[in-house]
Amino acid sequence: MSEVKTLEIRNLHVSVEDKEILKGVDLTVNENEVHALMGPNGNGKSTLLAAIMGNPKYTVTEGSIIYDGKDILSMPVNERSVAGLFLAMQYPQEIPGVTNSDFLRAAMNVRSEQPVSLFRFIKAMESTISELQMKEDLAHRFLNEGFSGGEKKRNEIVQMKMLKPSLSMLDEIDSGLDVDAIRIVGDAINSLRKENGMSIIVVSHYERFLELIEPQFTHVLVDGRIVASGGPELAVKIDSEGYDWLYKEYDVVPAAEAEANARKVTSIGTCAVRESVKGASK
Amino acid sequence: MTPLRLNTDIALSEGYSEYEIDSDRNLELTFRASGKCDVFVRIRRADHIRIRSFIEEGAEVSILFWNISEKDAQIDESHEVMKDAKLTIAYGECNSASTKRSTYTALRGTNASALVSSASLVQSKKDYSMNVVNFAPHTHGEIRNYAVVLKTGVLMIDAIGKIVNGARKSESHQTSRALSFEDGQKSTILPELLIDENDVQASHAMSIGRMDEDQLYYMMSRGLSVEQCTSLVSAGYLMPITEVIDNEELRETLRSEMERKIGELC
Repeated sequence: MSEVKTLEIRNLHVSVEDKEILKGVDLTVNENEVHALMGPNGNGKSTLLAAIMGNPKYTVTEGSIIYDGKDILSMPVNERSVAGLFLAMQYPQEIPGVTNSDFLRAAMNVRSEQPVSLFRFIKAMESTISELQMKEDLAHRFLNEGFSGGEKKRNEIVQMKMLKPSLSMLDEIDSGLDVDAIRIVGDAINSLRKENGMSIIVVSHYERFLELIEPQFTHVLVDGRIVASGGPELAVKIDSEGYDWLYKEYDVVPAAEAEANARKVTSIGTCAVRESVKGASK
Repeated sequence: MTPLRLNTDIALSEGYSEYEIDSDRNLELTFRASGKCDVFVRIRRADHIRIRSFIEEGAEVSILFWNISEKDAQIDESHEVMKDAKLTIAYGECNSASTKRSTYTALRGTNASALVSSASLVQSKKDYSMNVVNFAPHTHGEIRNYAVVLKTGVLMIDAIGKIVNGARKSESHQTSRALSFEDGQKSTILPELLIDENDVQASHAMSIGRMDEDQLYYMMSRGLSVEQCTSLVSAGYLMPITEVIDNEELRETLRSEMERKIGELC
């Protein structure tokens, strides 16, 4: 185990149902760093996070992911978690019949030699619930069952706070949260960073959330590749100007548009009809 | 704990009572209740048992049958629920032997209600036929089955909710869920609603299958192994049965018994 925990992604190619989504991603995240992943929808941001976590729906066809000196790709999902990775998901699952507290206690116990004492667990759970300003009965409710969108997102952060990962990936954790909740979640993330030097990869469309988390690095994913990297100023520029300047400057086409272009060829008949109708009405 | 070895008529007393069936011969039991009763019946040894119960007007009765018999058992039951009476009946079937059970519940008087439920950790053959019939108006019947089917297990459930003509404003609901972990397992659940009255509410829900892949991924992403996920989810399926009886001490005993079994088998 190395002193400093670093995530190193090299030439990562990832497919979903034989469609290549990531086409060679390189990314290095050191301890204590916060990286923002930007880019238009459908260009691979969530795919990258899911591939790092090990979602079975995503197939890595080429490349490597090393974390803390360990080959992450050869590890099952649960071992990646124990190694310090955490993914706050965009759509957290509902697990009826399993309470939040039973689930979290089991998850905490797999990362310590001795089981966490019930007393310590309850205290930690209570203080985390109040920090995230959730209802007190959270511990006894079934995992995410019947939760509102915002509650589910906050519950992801409750889990993060309890498990104390060394690298957290936040996949649009701020969507579905109102202004106050965004601040609560941001504060909770920052306090854990201060506590354990956690590094973060964050996907977000909201400037307000990024302002809270303060990423030092910005990367733009377009059509499965990181086409531009920079400091916080890059995120600010994208927030005010959008992506069009970037497509021109780096000569790239976003995935959705690339697909639409390809489709145009097959729909030329319709287009021709539309064009002729337009011509006739003139 | 009162042992039951011979044919017996039992007038249930108010509050909590415990019985143990320990018989290798045919046994006939009759329960009568007029008050508020919580009853725990442990089936230690059984062959063929016939059980009848009469839940009298206004009575409120919960009975939990907890099967630990190592011998295959056949159990036939009928329950009569009178006006304004409420019956909750539950079967805990986590033993290794087979069970063939047929249970018939009749909602005889206005405002009668019955919940018939089971939790099974299926290692052999569990074959249940469950009938709840609404004979009177404003009656409420419900069937609820939860099963975790293991490699050697075969589950068959025939769940029938029936509302007769004239039983207006009655309700009949059922939910049956079976969770399996391996390929090639056999579970059969037949939900039936036989409705002969227009002004009623009825519903059924059913699922058979393996644990959802997305749920498994979600739980594993927090560090739990496949085995830990399956045993947590299995416990979630089966544990609620212990809450039928309002007795904290009993609940704890049953929970730890189930936890141990689930830990060993799932």
